[in-house]
Amino acid sequence: MISTNKKIRAARYGMTIDVDRCNGCGACMVACAVENNVPPAHAGANDRKGLTWIRVYQVDNGEEYPNRRTAFVPVMCQHCGHETPCVHVCPQQAVDVDPATGVVGEMPQRCLGCRYCMAACPYHARYFNWWDPAWPAGMEQTLNPGVTPRMRGVVEKCNFCHGRWHAAKELAAAAGKPDTEPVNYLPACAEACPTGAIHFGDLNDAASAPAKAAREPDSFRLLEKLGTEPKIYYRSKKEWVRGIAAAPKPGPRTAAGAGIAVSKPIGAAAPQPGPATAGTSKPGAGTAPASQPGTGAIPAPKPAAGAAARPKPADGKENVRG
Amino acid sequence: MKTTRREIMLFAGGSAVGVLFTPAPWRLITDTAMWSENWPGIPRPARGEIRSRYTNCALCPAGCAVRARCVGDQPVALAGVPGHPLTHGALCAFGLAGQHLPYYPARVKQGPVKEAAAAVAEGIAKCGPSEHVVTLDLRPGRTVSWTYRRAMAAVRNGRYVAATPEIGGPVAVDLSQARTVLSLGVPVLDGWGTPGNVIAARPGFRLIQAEAVESRTASMADLWLRIRPGSEDALARGLAGTITPAAAAEATGIPESQIGAVARELADNGPALVLGTSLLASTGRTIVARRETPVPEEWRKAAPVTDLASLPDGSVRVLMIDESAPGEYLPWNAIEKKLAPDNPVVVAFAWSLEGYGRHARYVLPVGVYPEVADDIPPAADSVAATFRIAAPLVAAPAGLVKPEGFVASAAGLPLGDTLRQRADAIHQTGRGSLFTSADGKSSALKEVSADDFWKALNAGGCWIDSPDDGAATAQLAPVAGAAAAAEDSELPLVAVLHRELTPGSPILSKLYQESNLRLGPHGVALHPSCGLEDGARAMFQTLLGKCPVEVALDAGVPPGVVLAAASPAVLDLCANGARAKVVPA
Repeated sequence: MISTNKKIRAARYGMTIDVDRCNGCGACMVACAVENNVPPAHAGANDRKGLTWIRVYQVDNGEEYPNRRTAFVPVMCQHCGHETPCVHVCPQQAVDVDPATGVVGEMPQRCLGCRYCMAACPYHARYFNWWDPAWPAGMEQTLNPGVTPRMRGVVEKCNFCHGRWHAAKELAAAAGKPDTEPVNYLPACAEACPTGAIHFGDLNDAASAPAKAAREPDSFRLLEKLGTEPKIYYRSKKEWVRGIAAAPKPGPRTAAGAGIAVSKPIGAAAPQPGPATAGTSKPGAGTAPASQPGTGAIPAPKPAAGAAARPKPADGKENVRG
Repeated sequence: MKTTRREIMLFAGGSAVGVLFTPAPWRLITDTAMWSENWPGIPRPARGEIRSRYTNCALCPAGCAVRARCVGDQPVALAGVPGHPLTHGALCAFGLAGQHLPYYPARVKQGPVKEAAAAVAEGIAKCGPSEHVVTLDLRPGRTVSWTYRRAMAAVRNGRYVAATPEIGGPVAVDLSQARTVLSLGVPVLDGWGTPGNVIAARPGFRLIQAEAVESRTASMADLWLRIRPGSEDALARGLAGTITPAAAAEATGIPESQIGAVARELADNGPALVLGTSLLASTGRTIVARRETPVPEEWRKAAPVTDLASLPDGSVRVLMIDESAPGEYLPWNAIEKKLAPDNPVVVAFAWSLEGYGRHARYVLPVGVYPEVADDIPPAADSVAATFRIAAPLVAAPAGLVKPEGFVASAAGLPLGDTLRQRADAIHQTGRGSLFTSADGKSSALKEVSADDFWKALNAGGCWIDSPDDGAATAQLAPVAGAAAAAEDSELPLVAVLHRELTPGSPILSKLYQESNLRLGPHGVALHPSCGLEDGARAMFQTLLGKCPVEVALDAGVPPGVVLAAASPAVLDLCANGARAKVVPA
């Protein structure tokens, strides 16, 4: 934790992910796992118990073949900037928002393993260590010394490669640069993306690539109506992709295939029991403009607390499960 | 003053209560898990000097340039090299985890080397006049491929068989010149050619993908033609005018008008390129001639490249298969019928038993990337000849076999440092330029000494030939994709094979086990109406046999189609477009 009386340059790191450029290759997932010493899957791990700090979901428009269209949406911790749900529910103070970076950090040393944060996270972006981390014999040599492996029984998640941020700060300090200067820092997923779909930078810097991209009209955020002000912006020219971000209620994933809107669920958009609603989602519903015209940087959430500060959801409901 | 027992008890009790008003106990409670962090089961990453080393990825013909972040000499993370003229900084999921390959749990580490050498020597000695000694190379065009060819030239009745047409062959695709690309099932945006180069050229061309299933490429294409499985050939012929548009429309299942529109677009929005399972056709200079990467003149006394199909059935007495470098897999049934009926010698140089190791009499362990030095032939979309070396980043364990050394020894061919010999031959031409990854600079080869050239190649450098001014547009005969198999009531499904995961880094389990992003090595996808359950164990069956698979239900797969990962086990059973069925295990 950074001392509050120390003068810091308040950055607000964020990302833009161009869904239309993502081909679902999975390079970001592998680079993330390598960088952050996430172990290979345990034999009993599946898509619900695995550890994937960033996970690429395959989503579709809910239609049957031949009208079905798919897209790939990388989802990691959205680094909520307002009323961060996981911070509020953690009884151990194991989650905090770094005032210097805006990054939502997780301290596994403090984690009790209660998983309240997992329940609170609307993006399903937190993962629990169900097993002791294990690598095949000899592969421990390939672990990144900048990141400590986590033990069984704690929750972990994306922290924008905090080890890289520290390394960048050290390099800047070694070069004699003051704290107030931006550091050259890039998370592993953004570095690895071969299609250039992921851009990372300081949203407070109007000239940064993500700040520019976030102002584009095709920019959106996941579950924006919750008012958590995520710092991950997505872009797509496809209306049905933007519609999924607003979390329509998809039908059940049945053997008959009816009502599938999200084949691999994203966060609260997970298929839930209910009537089939494929094709009924309203594209763009709940997606607010990314920024106000005329402002350079992406506006930070206002410090006002409570529901009054939240943008009113498009459907008038506070709870996406409602 | 005398301290009474009562006073001690009061002090202890008061202290216990008082401590509760200090931060200490609460701090200890919040850090409950701190002690378990260093349990013996939690590995501690090694520490040391952090530095960068450079190499080239040998996992596919793209040969992407790699920057390895190392602790001491041990690579801990790989990344692309931005600014590289061929690979443009890209590295795929497989390449990003390349440093883990030596730790593949099912890796072959020991093998009967002496027994295999004796059996090969005996087989060569007993080889009859109508029999052959064959080396099968899964990735032709490398320096070791030349060694195999020279060795087979030195052996009586020796034959060198390449799994595919030589990658470093005489033609290449120039995507930067194309304005329209029609792909007949080729995964243009999912690992074909050099991914970084394809992505760099992508804004310049319109992509039309003809495919039965919405693959990754189809989902990102400008136009997806939903043709029937196995009807690529009919579409190609319809576009070429060798069959009527009506016949093409009937075979492919897409309207005649759409076929006509695609044909017009190819003609009007050129230069155009048509890609099939092999190169097909082009208008303009999108397919260009490419010079061969130079070799020493004495190497030219080598066996020609032979097609497996041209060998008589039952004629192969000794077969040595090099699958140390991943490449195209030839189905075992096609190989098996070429073997002599009485006790043929089959040696596989492999690092896992998932491929030909299942069938060979001897499986000899080999080094893997990035343990051994190997060169990477130019990719299909590399317009100039290149020479790159996958320089080792880690030491290979003891007991491994060098396939080229084994084959040369069996043939009595003296072998020196072939990579250095070829580098010297390239340097003598004085052509082209050298790109060095460490500083991202290119310099003319003429300005570099032979020793410096060799050092740069071993530090991830790349030689790129100068443009061949005399290169004319290649005229290629149409080669079709898979043809549709006849309907079979016993085998109601059509198999569509997708190149997916190959065994390798354990961390790739993120992609298929923990996220279902890709089909696993034994995965098939079916339409939800197939009657099977998601995740069910089943048997994939064709006319040639069956193998166990895991079923994934996907509404994007057309009814009547089974989408299968093209693993060696599946490729042994069928080709793309074959009839199949999936039954509960």
